Amino acid sequence: MTKMPDHAVQQPSTRTRDEALEKVPATPARAVPVTPPARPGRRVRRRGERAPLASVGLHLGLALATAVAVLPPLWLLVTSFKPKHEAFTLDPVKDFTLDNYTHVLGATEFVTWFGNSVFVVVLTVVLGVFISSTTGYALSRFRFPGMRPLLWTLLVTQMFPMAVLIVPLYNLMARMGLLNQPVGLVITYLTIAVPFCAWMMKGFFDTIPISIDESGRVDGLTPFGTFWRLIMPLAKPGLAVTGFYSFVTAWAEVAYASAFMTGEDKLTLARGLQTFVNQYTQDWGSMTAAAVLIAVPAALVFGFAQRYLISGMTAGAVKS
Amino acid sequence: MAVETGRPAQPAASGGPTARGRGRGADVRKPARARRVLSTHWYAWAMIAPVVLVLGVIIGFPLLRGVYLSLTNADERNVGRTIGARTLEPTYEFVGLDNYVEVLTGDVFWGRLAWTVVWTVACVSLTFLIGLALANMLNRAVRGRTLYRIALILPWGIPAFVSVFAWRLLFAGDGMFNAVLTGGGIEGVDWLEHPTWAKLAVITVNIWIGVPFMLVATLGALQSVPGELYEAAEMDGAGPWQRFRNITVPGIRSVSATVILLSTIWTFNMFPVIFLLTGGGPYGSSEILVTEAFNLAFVRSPRDFATSATWGVLILLLLVAFAVLYRRSLRKQGEVW
Amino acid sequence: MRRAIGTTALVAALALAATACGGGGGEEGGDAASGELSGTVTFWDTSNDAEKATFQRIAEDFENKHPGVDVEYVNIGFDNAQNKFKDAANAGEAPEVMRTEVAWVSDFASLQIIEPLDDLADDAGDHVPQAWGSTQYDGRTYALPQVIDTLALFYNKRILDEAGVEAPSSIAELKDSAAAIEKTGATPFYLRGDDAYWFLPYLYGEGGDLVDAQAREVTVDDPAGAAAFATVEDLLDSGVATTDINDGYANQQKAFNNGEAAMIVDGPWAIAGTLAGAEFKDDPDNLGVAPVPAGSEDQGAPQGGWNLSVYAGTAPENMDAAKEFARYMSSAEVQQRTTEELSLLPTRTSVYEEPSVQENQMVRFFKPAVDKAVQRAWIPEAAGFFDPLKEQLARVVKDAATPEEAAESTGEAYRELLPDWK
Repeated sequence: MTKMPDHAVQQPSTRTRDEALEKVPATPARAVPVTPPARPGRRVRRRGERAPLASVGLHLGLALATAVAVLPPLWLLVTSFKPKHEAFTLDPVKDFTLDNYTHVLGATEFVTWFGNSVFVVVLTVVLGVFISSTTGYALSRFRFPGMRPLLWTLLVTQMFPMAVLIVPLYNLMARMGLLNQPVGLVITYLTIAVPFCAWMMKGFFDTIPISIDESGRVDGLTPFGTFWRLIMPLAKPGLAVTGFYSFVTAWAEVAYASAFMTGEDKLTLARGLQTFVNQYTQDWGSMTAAAVLIAVPAALVFGFAQRYLISGMTAGAVKS
Repeated sequence: MAVETGRPAQPAASGGPTARGRGRGADVRKPARARRVLSTHWYAWAMIAPVVLVLGVIIGFPLLRGVYLSLTNADERNVGRTIGARTLEPTYEFVGLDNYVEVLTGDVFWGRLAWTVVWTVACVSLTFLIGLALANMLNRAVRGRTLYRIALILPWGIPAFVSVFAWRLLFAGDGMFNAVLTGGGIEGVDWLEHPTWAKLAVITVNIWIGVPFMLVATLGALQSVPGELYEAAEMDGAGPWQRFRNITVPGIRSVSATVILLSTIWTFNMFPVIFLLTGGGPYGSSEILVTEAFNLAFVRSPRDFATSATWGVLILLLLVAFAVLYRRSLRKQGEVW
Repeated sequence: MRRAIGTTALVAALALAATACGGGGGEEGGDAASGELSGTVTFWDTSNDAEKATFQRIAEDFENKHPGVDVEYVNIGFDNAQNKFKDAANAGEAPEVMRTEVAWVSDFASLQIIEPLDDLADDAGDHVPQAWGSTQYDGRTYALPQVIDTLALFYNKRILDEAGVEAPSSIAELKDSAAAIEKTGATPFYLRGDDAYWFLPYLYGEGGDLVDAQAREVTVDDPAGAAAFATVEDLLDSGVATTDINDGYANQQKAFNNGEAAMIVDGPWAIAGTLAGAEFKDDPDNLGVAPVPAGSEDQGAPQGGWNLSVYAGTAPENMDAAKEFARYMSSAEVQQRTTEELSLLPTRTSVYEEPSVQENQMVRFFKPAVDKAVQRAWIPEAAGFFDPLKEQLARVVKDAATPEEAAESTGEAYRELLPDWK
């Protein structure tokens, strides 16, 4: 195991949760808490040598990248405040209006879709994270027959394309009456969430010192008791990461949602948004307003979770 | 892969020695030992039971069924289905490898595969390079770094299907890009109507979506490279390129290997960007393997479940082959991965 | 007889009542049953934005006639509606009644997801034969006609007057008048390069067809097919027409409504939306409608329209109400309303007798066009005809295939769908 992944693994569990997001990247020493103390000072000195011209270049490069990164969502936001028929004008909001929002919220099924999505996502996250964490713990702490095949299976299933499961799942759901049911979508999303979550949770449990388990055993706790009372509370950051990963996945999934859900009142957001703009309807006003309403909560959740997310993902994968 | 963690595994509650846990085949033969194995491991098995169940029931079984379907002539007219009170029994037949022969001898599959490879290589390499370059810029004392960082990872926080629609707004015939072009005296471009432009468009959007992940991953890796290495190199007279080549690259290698693998798998399977931006068009030119498999089963008429399943199995085989080869090549280079 | 009918006897009674009133539509049948019917009828409507409010009112008026029935109106739009219904049917969640495009009936029927409606077929004779033809599959009736339509040339009278030209009756005339129209600043013609249905007039104009179902023969790759693709190519290359291969319908409407394009091809369903457009809302008479331009051999447009079908998985307690609702939506009364309010064309000959219908300008124009409209092959495989054709059309539009190659590739794709055809 190389050094870096270890750091990454430790990152979430060693950092306190209330640290402000901005602080993390700003100080290398914080981002990688276990780095040798000598480093930050030397870095600064090295950087201090940068010529003014290089500084300008650096800022230009970053500003350009920032513009590219921000433009599409920004334009979406701007367009959502324009009257419908001006959707394609270049002027930034000449006639500011909230019509698109009132229309989307009042006259379409958007709120229902939002509710469906929340239902599906919450259930996926709760179920996925819970069953994954017991497995992650078992994989992290015990050697047992079947462990290697299980690890292998978890890794391989992570690269399952939806294309290989979607047809059999569709037929299966059809026979069980679960098509067009949010519950069917939850079950489907577990196929995505569980392998990844179990894998990541194993990575997190690996970072929790074994001495804690041992102390639990000394106190006479069963393995389950140790897991539930001692380890789980310590694994909260890990649970958050897997939870957020499942959230991001389920909130943004398109293919299964498009194939399995049909009734207007059963759609999730990913499918519902497609109904505003298609071959026959070009309601960009409603589309942009709905898109903003979908993106804002997602971006907020993401902003809160992203630093855990990335370390968890690299950790899980590198740990293989 | 699955793995010595470098730490002795936990003794069981009964205090049994770890090694027994490896469950060698010989142990199981004797009933007494079998019982001991069971009593040693029952809680581990109980803990993994839900996931094993999930893997078996909603991944394993559908997978096997998918493989089976790919060996039949199943389509929407002959699969079993329930219409109200009436149940129609499946009437499809086993056809052996016919579907595979048909898919692999036709030119559609190879055409889509070629483009999928181009798409994946282009997206992953450019995303990685851009991500690495931006990470290098951010890995310095720059004023406003926090703001830059937040802005640069913004695309990751927005669900891909939303971003794609945002880009459609920009790419539209009377969208912003063309308005800017015509404003500059250049003729507008039919972005999504010409195969080359459409391909460039989907690659652009996918890079836009993928860069933040690469950026954050490589930034984390860069920050873990000890600073004194750079200083020592500088004292030895190493130029920036040499420092990058000999310190940075080895330092981030492990993380890079992982994110490149992940990114490759994700890009290969990236459904929403293509499905929602171009719908595979114009005339199928931007269709990748997964969108084609989806179309076969759910968009085109008649719905051809068997061929779609065949494509699915082929995609899976390709990915597994890629992952195995990739690991092997990394191992050869001495990476412990 | 009114109150005496039990639900089980309802179907027989309906048939009787309808027969009694002859060709006049199922109206009295419905009345006879009022008070008896109960259940929930979900109706999936595919009408467009301009039409849907009217259809919702009409659908919900059924509740006034039958207070025991709860009608749930859902507009699912036209996009992907065929697949939506299939998915919903497989999920056991399909609506009781679906507005089914004429070409979908055989597809749905062959999948056994819609109910045979032979017991409602008593007034078949009132419908124009082409409309009725689309409801038949395997010798049974699977749908009831609601509207019939076809494609026609819509033109902006103001622009054509300004250019001093008449509405063209053939492609050749269209090309001749193009220069004069261009001088007004408008594009002479918007050609839909993204839709196979819109390609059919060019194919018919060259004397061709997609298939010959009688002879079990694929005909799209006959010389007429290549000639039709060549016509499209020529109109675009010569600058007479503009096109897109995405979002063509919306772009076409936009271009025509604001006067950028002088002529388009569209159907009666677009009349309401067009009259709301900038060029026409103050002056409805500015909209001219003429038959689609003829090709070098012939003139023709495809017959389209909408039927009503009943989901085969409808719960028994809703089945009677669902059938009655389908009958109501196909009735003379409703057809007259959709003509008066939306200028849609009825399928019932009795409705064409109504003065309000006879006076409707759009009907006046479209009726002869519909009478001449080309019936398509009502076979389930036809559901797969449009995808390959659309792809090849886009290739021709974008110069990625010659007309000959396009016709040939389309033919190949069709023979895969119809393995034992010539």
